[in-house]
This record gives sequence, C-alpha cells and structure tokens, in this order.
Amino acid sequence: MEKEGFWGQQWQATGAKLPPELNSGSAASDQLPQCFLNLNWKQPMAHDADFESALSSLVSSPCSNPPASADGSSIGELIGRLGGICNSNDISASSPYPSADASCYSTPLNSPPKLNLSVMDHRQQGRGGPPMPVNRVPGPQLGPFSAEPGFEDGAARLSCFAGRSSGSFAGQFGFLDPGNLSEASRSQCPKAGFGSCVGVGQSRSERPAHLEMKMRPKIDGSSTAEESEVGNGPEESSLSDRMTAEASSLRGITDNNSGKWKTATKRKGRRAPLSSSATNPPANMTEEESSDAKRCKTADRKGGAKNEVAKPKTEKNGHPGHREGKDNDHQPPEPPKDYIHVRARRGQATDAHSLAERVRREKISKRMKFLQDLVPGCNKVTGKAVMLDEIINYVQSLQRQIEFLSMKLATLNPQTDVSMENLLRKDIYQSRGPMPQPVFPAEIGTVLSYAHQPQTIALQSIVTSGLEAQFSLNSLQSSLRQSQSLQHATTDAYTDASSQLGGLWEDDLQNVAQTGFGQNHGQTHTGHLKIEL
Amino acid sequence: MISSSSSSSSPSSSSSGSRKKKMKPGLTAQAETKWQTAAQEQVYGRRLLEALRPTGGAPAGPRAVKEAADSALALTARGQSRWSRAILLGRCRPRRKLLLKAGGRIRRGRRQPRSSAPVPLQQVSAELRGKKVRDRLRLLGRLVPGCRKLSASGLLEETADYVAALEMQVKTMRALTEALSAASLSAGATGEPGS
Repeated sequence: MEKEGFWGQQWQATGAKLPPELNSGSAASDQLPQCFLNLNWKQPMAHDADFESALSSLVSSPCSNPPASADGSSIGELIGRLGGICNSNDISASSPYPSADASCYSTPLNSPPKLNLSVMDHRQQGRGGPPMPVNRVPGPQLGPFSAEPGFEDGAARLSCFAGRSSGSFAGQFGFLDPGNLSEASRSQCPKAGFGSCVGVGQSRSERPAHLEMKMRPKIDGSSTAEESEVGNGPEESSLSDRMTAEASSLRGITDNNSGKWKTATKRKGRRAPLSSSATNPPANMTEEESSDAKRCKTADRKGGAKNEVAKPKTEKNGHPGHREGKDNDHQPPEPPKDYIHVRARRGQATDAHSLAERVRREKISKRMKFLQDLVPGCNKVTGKAVMLDEIINYVQSLQRQIEFLSMKLATLNPQTDVSMENLLRKDIYQSRGPMPQPVFPAEIGTVLSYAHQPQTIALQSIVTSGLEAQFSLNSLQSSLRQSQSLQHATTDAYTDASSQLGGLWEDDLQNVAQTGFGQNHGQTHTGHLKIEL
Repeated sequence: MISSSSSSSSPSSSSSGSRKKKMKPGLTAQAETKWQTAAQEQVYGRRLLEALRPTGGAPAGPRAVKEAADSALALTARGQSRWSRAILLGRCRPRRKLLLKAGGRIRRGRRQPRSSAPVPLQQVSAELRGKKVRDRLRLLGRLVPGCRKLSASGLLEETADYVAALEMQVKTMRALTEALSAASLSAGATGEPGS
C-alpha cells in the first residue's frame, strides 16, 4: 500500500539501526513498529544515537514487554493507543484492549490494517493486562485524527510521552489535546497549543528535549524541510543547547499557536528584544523566547480563541544559527492560516480586547497614512483631527469643483442642444455656409463629433456675443490646468475664476437668452451660478 | 491658435494622467493607482460623453450633468466601492430592490443601514474616542456617499478611493469642458457670423 511504500522508503533512508531491533519482534510486528516509527521519527532516528536508543527501548517495550520501567509500559500503552487509532476500523480483535481502543477512537485512519493489527497484537502480547486508566486519557484525544496528520500527531505525542518518561504521564496526557499537537504540524493541523505539550515537556530530562526537538522538525516541516532540520539535529548535542533550543522552539511553537504572546512581559529577562514580530509559526520557532511552561499554557488557552493579525516583522533574536536556518527553510512556505497572527509588544496588554483593538488601530493608522499621501498638504499636519479636517476640506473642494465643471459642461452642452432648436431658425442659415470644422486630436474626437453638429451652429451665435468672455475663460482654464498643484491653486483660482466667470456667464447667458435660448434655462443658470458663487 | 490650444489641451490631459501614476503599497494602493491611469480617464471620459449626449433634447441642468458625471464615475468604479454602489443605487430607484437582494450589503446612503458596521466609532481606540475625531469622521461619512454608518477603517478606505476617483473626475471634466469650449471657440472663430 501507499503507506507501506512510504514507510519502507523512509525505512531505507533512515538506515539499518532500528530495523534490526524492530525485527526482534515477530515478523508481523516488525512491519508496523518500524513503519510507525519511521514515519514519525525518520530524521532523528537516522542521526541520533540517543534517540535511537530511546526508540529501541520504546520499540522493545511492546515486543518484549519489559516490566522494569513504568515508562516503557506506558509508552507501550501509547503505542498501542496509536495502533488503536490506526486500527479503529479494521481491528476486529477479540481482545479487550483493541476493542476498547477501537471503541475509543471513532475516526478511522488510513493506515493499512495489517500493520495495525500487528501492533495491536504486540500490545496484547506485551501488556497482558487491562490498560491503565491513565493511558486511556489520551485515547479519546488521539481518536479523532485524520490519517496521516493524526498519525503523526499521535506519534509526536508519543514521542513526547516517551521523552517525558520521567514526568507524570497523566499530566502529560492532560495536555495533549489533539489540537495541541496537531497544531505543530504546520501544513495540516489546526492551530492549537502544541506548545502546551511541549511546554509540559519542558522537562529537565535530556531525553524529552531531545525527542521533542527532533519531533519538532518533523512536525513542522514534514515534507520538505525535514532534511535540513535533520541536519540541525546533530548540532544540538549538548543538553543545555537542547534545553534552550527546546525552550525557544517551544516558545516559537507556542507563539505560533497563540500568537499573542508578549515576549516581554513574562520573560525571564532573557530575550531583550521584543518583538513586535509577526510570526509565522515556523519562523517563530527561532523566536527568542524563553520557555515558560506556564506561558505556554496560558498562551495556548488564548491562542485558540482569537484572530490575530500577522505582521511580518519577525525579529530573530540571537538565537543559535541553526534555528534560523530552520526558519529560513520554513519562511517561504507560509502555511495557509485562517487566523492572522499578532505579536504583542513589550509592555502592552495581552488580553484579547486590547490586542484586537491594537490591530484595528494599526489598520486605521495605516489608512490614514495613505490618505495623507493622497491629500496634498497633509504631510506637515500631525494628529488625526487636523488631518481629518484637511481631508474633509479636500473632499468638499473636489466636490465643489465637480459641480462647477458640471455647470460649465451643462452650459456648453444642452445650451447648444436647446439653442439649436431655437437658434437654428435664426442663425443657422446665416452661418451654415462657412463652417470649417477643425479636426481635433483623437482624444476629443467624440467630443468634436458631438460638438460639430449642434454646438458649432448654436455656439456661433453665442460666440459672437461672448467670444471675449470665452477666450478669457479658456485662458483661465488653461492656466489653471497647467498649475502644478491641482488642489490649492485650482481652488484659489477657481474662487477667483468663478467670480469672474460668473459675470461672464451671466453676460453670455443674457445674450443667449436674448437670442432665444431658453430663458428658463438661462435663469436657472444664473441662479445656480449665484448660489455657487 | 485654436488648434494649438486644442492640441495643447489634449496632450496636457493625457500627460497629466500619466504623470500621476504612482505605485503605493498597501491595502488601498489599488485605489489610487486605479484611478490615476490614463486608461481610466479615457474610460470615464467616454462614459461621460455618452451620458451627456442624450441630454440633447431636454435642457440638461447642471445638476443633471453632475449626476450624470457621478453616475459615470460610479460605473467606472465597477461597483467595487461602497460609495459607487450608493451612487448607482441612488440613481436608479426601481432597481434598488433588486440590487439589494442581490448584493446584500448594498445600502443607500441616507437610509438607516443594518447594524453591520463592524465597529462603532466609539469602541475603536483611545484617540478615536476623542470627540473631535469622531465628529470629523461622521462628517466625512456624510460627505462620501453611502458611508454614513461605517467604521473608521472602512470609512477611511472608502474616502481614499473616493478622493482618487474625484480627482480623476475633475481632471476629465476639465479636459472635456476645455475641449468643448475650444471647439466652440474654433467654430465661433472660423465661422464668424456677420451680425
């Protein structure tokens, strides 16, 4: 099957370390454990001896059922759980354990049945006893997973558990919500407090950090960045590095998840810079943050709830370079988020309301800046009120200009049309003969075609009387148009021009009216002019 | 002389259109750039002319001209902005109900819209809670058609788009009137009637 092929391929990639150990079990069993483990821990398995030893212990537990460590048993339980998840549909085992597991898990995974069966068989053989209640806790949580992500998540959780062998499993289980771990895997899982698990896993023991760090790379970059992350793995050899790295990664992950953390407030003073960074989850991994398990939890709680705005101002604190390398890998593939992430600044409130409000405020200020560029003369002005004043004035002036121009157009257009009827009788016959129509540029070609027929005829009568007025009008217009600053100059000029033109138009209109233009129209024009001016 | 003036008018308008092309990043970048292209000017100009042409029969008062110009402008906006939709809806009454049903969010400027304004002005921020700012925002909302009850951010975005559109409208109409008057002038000059 597809899964098997996949696993097999990883199997080969990772190397031969595990298989022999896995093969120690039954023939049927080795398939699943190796596939299972390969799928989840392929990179780390390849590179880390410690991990492999842990893995081997993990693997061996179901196989050999070592009674010695409670961890092993619990881990075995976990493995069984995972197998149960995979198997929920397929297992028809008679044993109570698998059936119990199947009952726990509702959604079927696509993993091949036989592998699961083998696992289940292992479980059965290994356990022999009823599952511990504590082990049941993660069951329901692990249950509703879709095939691969769920599998991985479960595996991730499992690794977390394994890592925390020293810790209390119950507590860990409590933290391991399906959402939490799945969140970690960028590509598929919904946002969740993966950090919580990791935070919980922020344990003192070396192994958990180790495992989790390995896990993280896998989770984050399941497909592409894995190799690079794997490369990073061996770098973190020292425990301290691991701890800090884990902490930072935890932080990063939790930051990804919650998005709202302020790196500053609860910080233990480690990371000075605070960022107002916009974090994308993988990018956030490098976030400096110190690990605060508590913070993880709180952030986790908050994280799920809100929408955040992502601002790509990621600030990478001087975290070790390998983390940044990982970031770079992750940066390009922005996971599709339905939330937007926001990073709270230092010393600012982190509660939901203030964060949302800040987001809104920033949006508004951004738009105000844009308007500032649009409206001339707003650059020197500071303050929202004054700027809004300017904007209002500008909009009003633009609207006034439009009215003015429309009036002018109205005098030019319908004037000719109306007067055409009126004037045709009088003037057309006179001026019809010589009417050369100059060819204007194409841009106003339509205008000309329109203007030629009605206007030229009609305008001639007007022109005779108001020619000078129109000339002055044109000169004014051209001068206005050529002025660089459209707004101020034109407004000033318009106020001047309008007064002049008003007089001119009135003259024109009177003339037109005399020629029979449409006295109502002319009067309305003058009326309008007076109102405007 | 007339031809020179007319020729000067046309290149100047086109050059002014191209002169103002600026690329601004951001959300509302497209608002500005879309209105400043010469292509938009010509589109609007043509629409305006077509709108003005049929008013041959009836005397087109300046109000009608202005309304025609605004409608043409709103058409050119393609209904992407709230104010353009408000203008278009204001013009065609019988279609309003249809558009309301179809658009859903379209509403007239003067009507009481649904309480769909995302955030009332008061709740936005400390500064925006300031009385002056709030009054001015309300004023602005009255100026821009269809933006009476709108949140601050939406209102600002509409205003940006509206301002850009108004600038284009002013430019085009000025060019148009110049061309017309130049045409009339030329016609008048060439065909000097005797009396």
